[in-house]
Amino acid sequence: MKESIVIDGLSKYYNDFLALDNLSLKVRKNEDVALLGPNGAGKTTTLKLLCGLLHPSSGTAYINGINVVEGREQAISNVGAILETPEFYPFFTPDETLSYLGRLRGMRGRELGHRIREVLKLVGLEKWANIRIEKFSRGMKQRLALAQALLHDPQILILDEPSLGLDPRGMVEFREIIKKAKKKKTILFASHLLTEVAKICSKVAILDHGKLRFYDDMSRLKKKYRSLERAYLKLTEGAI
Amino acid sequence: MSEFEKLKIVTRYELLKQFRRKRFYGVLAITLLAVVLTIGLYQGLDLPRRMGVPQSTINQHGVELFAIFVTSMGSLAILGAVFFAGDALASEFERKTGYILFPNPVKRTTLVVGKYLACFIATAAILGVAYLISAGALLVFYRQVPIGIFGSLAIALVLACFVISMAFAFSSVLKGGMGATIATLLTYMVIFSIVSSSLAYAGFNPWFMPDRAGDAMTATYGISFENAFGGMMGGGQMMSGMVRASQNPTLSFFVLLGYAVILFGVSIWMTKRREMI
Repeated sequence: MKESIVIDGLSKYYNDFLALDNLSLKVRKNEDVALLGPNGAGKTTTLKLLCGLLHPSSGTAYINGINVVEGREQAISNVGAILETPEFYPFFTPDETLSYLGRLRGMRGRELGHRIREVLKLVGLEKWANIRIEKFSRGMKQRLALAQALLHDPQILILDEPSLGLDPRGMVEFREIIKKAKKKKTILFASHLLTEVAKICSKVAILDHGKLRFYDDMSRLKKKYRSLERAYLKLTEGAI
Repeated sequence: MSEFEKLKIVTRYELLKQFRRKRFYGVLAITLLAVVLTIGLYQGLDLPRRMGVPQSTINQHGVELFAIFVTSMGSLAILGAVFFAGDALASEFERKTGYILFPNPVKRTTLVVGKYLACFIATAAILGVAYLISAGALLVFYRQVPIGIFGSLAIALVLACFVISMAFAFSSVLKGGMGATIATLLTYMVIFSIVSSSLAYAGFNPWFMPDRAGDAMTATYGISFENAFGGMMGGGQMMSGMVRASQNPTLSFFVLLGYAVILFGVSIWMTKRREMI
């Protein structure tokens, strides 16, 4: 399977508002694609549709060849996701949260325990493994969100503003984790942070008013527009 | 992994969530207080005599009268069920925890059923404690436990099922958990009461109303609440045309179960359709 993600004519209306307009996009295996665009461009809507949290008005999407609309559970079984600003059950500890999610993803016993320790160490929360999440800051929750996305070592990562709320050290650490992960994983990554995107992703999709304005390699984008910032400003002219 | 395996996981962790919340212990404390007060006041004030229950009835049905009093757990079943279930679904959307839970390879139906089972087990635990204390009090004061206590418990549990289903139905459509909790309480205590009372005043027997069916937990001991407490209830002073009949426990059980199944189905259907916007 060459393409990990195929978006085929996907549209989404919120009542009368067209949030996503006939989007088609293919992400090949082990590619890392940044989804850029101003507020309301349709980035989050696209990622939510891929994870089955929204029902498309028309069109469809495939993950590893499985139709997300018809077989959501199977399609997302090999996906790790961070969407919007996720919240966790405050009465649980990170260890319990990851144990719950890991079991739902088919992990068990020692393998699960070992992997939980591994991902908590990776995101710098190993000392907080047994502290209730109600005591956590925004940045710590974001680290935990990354840990749960990586927990089952998924082949695909779908990340919506994953560095939101992280302190500078957290952002650097996050960037290193993603850089390491992208060698073996397909990544679809929505962000407002152009500098962050430029450091991490090799391919860019720019959305505006629900339409795809540009989709190509970062190198070709820079050749055509000189910089990511200039491309972004040019392609999203008139946006809110 | 089968959906049944996933259901066991969801139920286990949802139950852990219920036991970690302060509201579980709050409801438990209220339950203990209510049961102990009921037992203490019944015995301390010699309530049947003060209420004008005939001595012959007291002599013949003393155990059952006490059992009726101490196992009138309708409000506790409602309280427990509504507090545990009100925010079970709505909070996933309101507090955004659904962004972590829903993008997992598990069907929404499995999540709803698991949450339902957890709410039911938590409510059943509260009711179990209340009935155990009541049974203990019956043993202490009368050295026997009437068989009707099991029927009463069964009605209390099915009433809890109904209230959880109603709370789930509200929770699946309303934005917030607090709204769903209040809507459930108001519907049960205000709307159903108005309809039941109006029907009774008009001469109809509202056996099909959930609140009347819930009253059946006092009718499982083989004596009529109205006959036993007729003097206090003002049997001859009811408004003209008002029907006040003891509920048939078996019929009431199935009425509540029917409503519970329908509303639970509605909550699953609505949750499956609901989007994380």
